[in-house]
Amino acid sequence: MLEVLDRARLLVVTGKGGTGKTTVAAGLGVAAAGRGRRVLVAEVEGRQGLAGLFGRGELDYREVRVGERLNALAVDPDESLREYLARYGFAPLARLLSWANLNRFITAAAPGLGDVLLVGKVWEAATRQARPGSGAPGAYDLVVLDAPPTGRVVPFLRAPETVAELARVGPIRHQADRVRDLLDDPERTAVLLTCLPEELPVTETLEGVAALQQAGLPVAGVVANRVTGDRLGGRAGRLAALARDPAPLAAAAAAAGAELDRAALGTLVEEARDRQRVVTRERRLLKELRAGLDGLPMIELPFLAGGVGGPEEVRVMAGHLATPAGLWTAASTPSGRRLPSRSGAPASRGSDDAHPEAGEAGG
Amino acid sequence: MTTRGAAAAKGTRGAGASAALVPGPGSPLAGLARSARIIVCCGSGGVGKTSTAAAVALWAAQAGRRTCVLTIDPARRLAQALGLDLLSNAPRPVRAKGLPARGPGSLDAMMLDMRRTFDEVIERYARDADQADRILANRFYQRLSSTLAGTQEYMAMEKLYELHESQRYDLLVVDTPPTRSALDFLDAPENLNELLDARAFRLLIAPAQRIGRGYLRGLNLATTAMTKMVRRVTGSELLAEVGEFFAAFEGMYDGFKARAGLVYDQLKHPSTAFVVVATPEGAALREAAYFASRLAADRMPLGALVVNRIHQARPVPEVPAAARRRLAADGADGRLLADLLELHDGLETLAAAEQRRVRDLLATVPNLGVVQVPLLPDDVHDLAGLRRLGEYLFA
Repeated sequence: MLEVLDRARLLVVTGKGGTGKTTVAAGLGVAAAGRGRRVLVAEVEGRQGLAGLFGRGELDYREVRVGERLNALAVDPDESLREYLARYGFAPLARLLSWANLNRFITAAAPGLGDVLLVGKVWEAATRQARPGSGAPGAYDLVVLDAPPTGRVVPFLRAPETVAELARVGPIRHQADRVRDLLDDPERTAVLLTCLPEELPVTETLEGVAALQQAGLPVAGVVANRVTGDRLGGRAGRLAALARDPAPLAAAAAAAGAELDRAALGTLVEEARDRQRVVTRERRLLKELRAGLDGLPMIELPFLAGGVGGPEEVRVMAGHLATPAGLWTAASTPSGRRLPSRSGAPASRGSDDAHPEAGEAGG
Repeated sequence: MTTRGAAAAKGTRGAGASAALVPGPGSPLAGLARSARIIVCCGSGGVGKTSTAAAVALWAAQAGRRTCVLTIDPARRLAQALGLDLLSNAPRPVRAKGLPARGPGSLDAMMLDMRRTFDEVIERYARDADQADRILANRFYQRLSSTLAGTQEYMAMEKLYELHESQRYDLLVVDTPPTRSALDFLDAPENLNELLDARAFRLLIAPAQRIGRGYLRGLNLATTAMTKMVRRVTGSELLAEVGEFFAAFEGMYDGFKARAGLVYDQLKHPSTAFVVVATPEGAALREAAYFASRLAADRMPLGALVVNRIHQARPVPEVPAAARRRLAADGADGRLLADLLELHDGLETLAAAEQRRVRDLLATVPNLGVVQVPLLPDDVHDLAGLRRLGEYLFA
C-alpha cells in the first residue's frame, strides 16, 4: 500500500458511514505528503469533515495549505459549475446564472450534474499541469478524495458517464471520457474502502468491493479501522478459571502490596473477559473479511483516539498508514497478525492501542 | 471492551447495573413511544439508528400500539434486523415469535422505494393517466426521481404523511438515511418547489415550450442566445428532455406545493418527535449537535438523544505505581494482573472521555432527554437483540 501512496495520482477513499473514511483520507494525505509528494485532500459532501481534522474552522472551494506539501479543499458544486463554464468559454453564461441565482437550482435540478461537477473538479486537480506564474493553484502528485459512502460511490464516480449518455457529443461527453480514463486506470487510480470489525460494515464492505469491481473501478485495498488490540493473547484462556477463583491473582496482588480484594479482582477479570469477547468476535469478522476479499490487500488499524478527531488523530493515523509495506497483507494470508505499536512508543499504558486516550486523562 | 452493562444484558450481572445509565425517573423514550404519532430517528451513519428505530417500534407494539417502522436506508439493514427477506413499498406485518398475536398492538415494517413513491405522487397529482405517463416516461424525470438528493428524503416524508393520514397506525417510526442529507427533507419541499416552479429555468428552455406572455418576449430573445450556449455545453438531447419534463409537469405544481406544506406542518406538530441517535465518538456527537441545532432552527419537536455503545468501567481501588512495577516484575500472575489493571485504566479513561463529550453536547442543547445504551456484546440483528436493546432504551 505504500506503493500506492507513492505511485497513485488519485486515491478514492470510500466506506460505510461511521467507519472513519474522512480520517483515513486525511491520514493518507498526511502520510503521502510526509513521503515527499504534493498532495491535495478533497471532500465532496459538504460536511466540512476535513476542516476539524486539519485544525481549521471551515474549508471552502479554494485549495488551502494545511501542511507541508499538503492542501485541502471542500469541493462545491456551484463553484465547480462556474469554473466549468468559464473553462469552456461560457463565462458570460456563468455570470448570467449567478445573476439569476440559478446556480443552485441547476446543480440541484439536473440529476447527477452536481456529482459530475464534483468528480470533474477532482479530475481537474488530479491531472492539472503546473502553470508557473499563472496565479492558478499548482499541480499535485496525488489527490486523495474523501468520496461518498459505499452505497453511493459507484453512481457518484460514474456520474459523468451517466450524464454523458444524454450528451453524446460536446464538452460533457469529452470530459466524461477523460474522467473515465483516469478512474479506470489502475496505474493512476486506487480505490480504498474503510471498514470496522463489525458485522454490517464487513458485509457492506464486501458488497462495496464487488460493486466497484463490477463497475470496472480499480479497488486497491481495505483499511480495517478501530481493531481492538489483543493485549492478553493466549493468556485470555485463563480468564474463565480466574473468574471462578481469583486466588492466583490475589496471591500476586498480596505479594506486590496491591490492595485489591476479591471483588476488585473479579471486576478486573470480568472487564478483561468482556474485552476478550470483542477481540474474538472481531477476529472472526476480520477473517471473514479477508476471505471475502480474495487476495486484495488489507491493513488493520488499532482503535485510535475513539474518533476524537483533530490533527493529532490524523497524525497517528498517518503513522500507521505509512508503516512498511509488509504490514499491508494480502487478504489470503491468515489473520491474527498483531498490530504494531506506534513506532518508538514504549510498551507502557500509553501504547496500549486500544486506549490511546489514556494520554488525554489529565485534560 | 464490553462493559458492565453488556454483562448485565447477558444476565451475568445484576439487573441494577444498567440503572445508572438512565438519568431521571424514566426513559424519555417511553413517553414518546406511548403518545407520539410519528417518531423520526436521525443521526450519522453507523450509530445504530436503524436498530434503535426498530427497537422503539417493537417496544411500542408490545405496549399495545399499532406500529409501523419505515426505513429509507438503501442497505437492507432493517430487513436484517427484523429478520425479513424482503420489504416492499407497502407495510408488511413482522411475523415473529413474541409479538402480540391478539392484543391491540402490532408491528409492521416497510422499506421505502423512493422511486416508486415519487411515481405514486406523480400518479396522484397528474390531471389524467396521459399526463402521468408522459412524466413517468421522461428520462429527466427518471433520473430526477432516483438521484436527486433531499428529494428522496422528502418523498420518504410524503410516504410517512400518507401512512399517517391513512389512520392505520397509532405510531410510525421512521429511520432516515445515514448521510449528511438525512435532514435535507427539511429543505426539500422548498427545493422541490423551486425546481418545479422554475420559471427562470423555463426561460432557458423556452424553445421547448411556448412562452405566450408579451412581457416575456424581450427576455426570450436574450435567452435564445443563452439557450444556444446551454445546448452546446450539455448537448441538445438533455435539454429537450428537461423541456419536455417541464411541459409535462405543467399544472401539477400547486398540488405539490400544497402537499409539501401539509407534510412540513405534520413534522412540526407536537405529536411528532425527532430522536437524534449517536455514539459517544467525536464525529457522531458533532453530527448529533448539528442535527439538534438544525431541528431547533426549524422548530421541529426534538424528543430525545440516544447515545449507543457507551463504555463503562466499574470502580477498582487505585494501585500505586510502585505496586504495579512489583506486579509486572513478579511472575506470570503478576504480569497478567498488571495488564488487567492497565486494560481497566484504559477503559476508565475511555468511559470518562465519552461522558465528557456527551456532557459537552448536552450543554449546547438545553432540556434534551438523553438515553445512554451500553456497548452490547453482539450486533443487533434479530428480534431478541432488538428486545435487549429496548430494555436499555426504555429502562
